[in-house]
Parts: sequence; C-alpha cells; structure tokens
Amino acid sequence: MTNILRFAGLALISFLLLTGCGNEPQRLPYLGNVEIKGADTVYHTVPDITLTDQDSQTYRISTLNNKIILADFFFTSCPSICPKVKKQMLRLYDRYKDDDRVVMISHTIDQRHDSVAVLNRYAHNLGVDTDKWKFVTGEKDSIFYLADRYFVSVIEDPLAPAGFDHSGRIILVDKARRVRGFCEGTDPESVTAFFETVDKLLKDEYQ
Amino acid sequence: MLFTLPYPLLTIFLLLFIGGCQPEPYSQGEVLYKYHCENCHMEDGSGLGKLIPHLDSSRLTLSDPAKLVCLIHNGLPVNKLTGQKMPANLKLNEVEMTNLVNFLGSKYAANPQTVIVTDIKKMLAGCQTD
Ligand code: HEC
Repeated sequence: MTNILRFAGLALISFLLLTGCGNEPQRLPYLGNVEIKGADTVYHTVPDITLTDQDSQTYRISTLNNKIILADFFFTSCPSICPKVKKQMLRLYDRYKDDDRVVMISHTIDQRHDSVAVLNRYAHNLGVDTDKWKFVTGEKDSIFYLADRYFVSVIEDPLAPAGFDHSGRIILVDKARRVRGFCEGTDPESVTAFFETVDKLLKDEYQ
Repeated sequence: MLFTLPYPLLTIFLLLFIGGCQPEPYSQGEVLYKYHCENCHMEDGSGLGKLIPHLDSSRLTLSDPAKLVCLIHNGLPVNKLTGQKMPANLKLNEVEMTNLVNFLGSKYAANPQTVIVTDIKKMLAGCQTD
C-alpha cells in the first residue's frame, strides 16, 4: 500500500514538473559570447556594414525594417559546394517566399569577379525575387570580417577549387543582428531540421 | 534434411538469395556521378535553376555516348547568358568513363546504349580538344 502511494506521489510530481516546463516555450540560444556589462547583457552581433546588392542599391542590415535574416557566403563561379547550398537556400526561399518577416542574403566572397552585373545575372538565372533574396557584395575586408562574425570560415586559398575555401553554412540572425542558429547547406536533412529553428525564431520575435 | 525441402520452395529461397546479393546495375557509375557531377547537377539530376541544366533536359546528349564522353572530357565554355561553365574532367580513366556513361545512359537516356572500354577509347580519341 505504501508503495502504491509513493508511486502515485512520484507520478504526480513528475507530471507537475513536466507540464510546468511545457508551459515555458524554449527560446533559441544566442550564439557567441555573451557579456554582462553592469545591468546590460551584451550579445554577439554581426556588424552593420554597407552592402551593395544586385541592383547597385547600397544598404545596411539595420535598414531592412526589422526582418530576420537567412544568410550564406558563396561565389558565382564556385565549382564545389555552392550549387548544393543554393539548392537548399531555394528550399528556404520556397518556404518563406510569402513571409515578409524573412529576408535572405547571399554574400559573394569573390569581389574581383562577382560584380553587381554578375550578381544580377546570377539571381536572374536562379529565378528568384530579389526583393526577398538579395545577392550582395561589399568591401572585401568587411565581407570577410562579416563572415567571421557569422561564424562562417572563409579563406582565400590558391590550392582550393577556384581559389576559395569556405563553409556552406546557412545562418539565422534575429532582428537585433544576433546569431540564433545555423545549418549545413550541403546537408538537406540539416536544412529540414532548420525549418523548425526558423519557425521558432519567428514565433519568438513577432508575438 | 535439406533435400527433403520441396523444390518450389528451394527455388524461391535461391531466387531471394541471389536477388538480395545482386548489386545495383552500374553502381560504380553511380559513385563516380556522386563524386564528379553531383555538386553541380544534384543527386536527382535536377541542376539549379537556369544556371545548371536538369539532366532530363539533355536526353539527346545523354543518348549519344560519343557526345557525352567528349562533353565530360572537355567540359563546356562559359555560357554568356548565365555566366556558368562546366569544367573539363581529365581525372576519369577509361574504365571509369565507361561506367559513368553507362550509368547516365541507364538513368536518363531515351534509348540507352551500352558501351565497353574499347568504344570509350575510340570516342575519346575522336574528341576535339581545344
Ligand atoms: C562545376 C559544375 C559542374 C560539374 C562538376 C559538372 N557539370 Fe555538367 N554542366 C554544368 C553547367 C553549368 C552546364 C550548362 C552549361 C551551359 O549552360 O552551357 C552543364 C551541362 C551539362 C550537360 C548538358 C549538356 C547539353 O548540351 O545538353 C550534361 C549532360 C552534363 N552537364 C553532364 C555532366 C556530367 C556527367 C558531369 C560529371 C562528370 C558534369 N556534368 C559535371 C556544370 C557542371
């Protein structure tokens, strides 16, 4: 009898604990260093550098009207992983095409070859709406620094295919330019799981 | 005793056994495709927008092994409309080229033609290089 009571008690406590946690929706983590400065918490952010898009428009992320960002780094003549990453970016594009809270940015890391005209032709042939998905360039050092802050490794390497070695990550950034998640753009399953991450951020950021 | 098993049953067992062990046709070709072509043309051959063509859309090239061999060997120059090119592939040896061409034919060609290594040798010799 006491055993049954004990078991019932345990079950009740577990139930309360579990449902208690269920009420608190889990937030996405903030990636990178978080510093506490006095009363302020300072998060890792991506820099608000000037970017030039496929139509020669210059802008900063901060002027994008409070959108969350899906970003990647590539170059148009990339013979290795880029097409596969772009294919996965297309899946994200199809999913969030009609959702104005999301913008996509592909940054070229080959400033010498990928002029505005080249980026424009690339976007056009990929067949996407450039209001939604921008193809940008910028000052080389700034873009490489930006990649670093996005946690994407980009290395100029004469031995790599076409001179660059870079990772195929797709990164999720919130309205305050904080990095909230990423996936491997070369791995379709990682991208499928990433859909949920993006949805979660949308829910958190626009209540 | 094994020999007391009725014959039809034995035949079924044998068939299942052999069927299970039969490798996919052109499995080396498939591996070569993954390694040399898939980055651009994708696992399902679907390519990327207008930048990289769907392999379904070039059934003619794929039906003609001689054309296909030279296409793979020489690649394609930069397409002025898209800015994309297909790099020449000089890494495949003749046996690998044979397996890849047979795999592609079986998958995409309207009328697949099977080739052997001696065919491929002749075809490669016939490609104009620039
Ligand atoms: C670096 C990217 C890349 C790789 C790797 C690549 N291709 Fe291509 N391929 C292209 C592009 C780009 C085109 C279209 C070029 C154009 O528009 O003129 C193309 C075109 C083709 C075509 C259509 C040609 C036609 O005229 O219909 C076939 C078939 C083809 N590739 C097969 C292959 C095979 C087989 C391999 C692997 C041995 C391969 N490709 C590797 C980029 C690539």
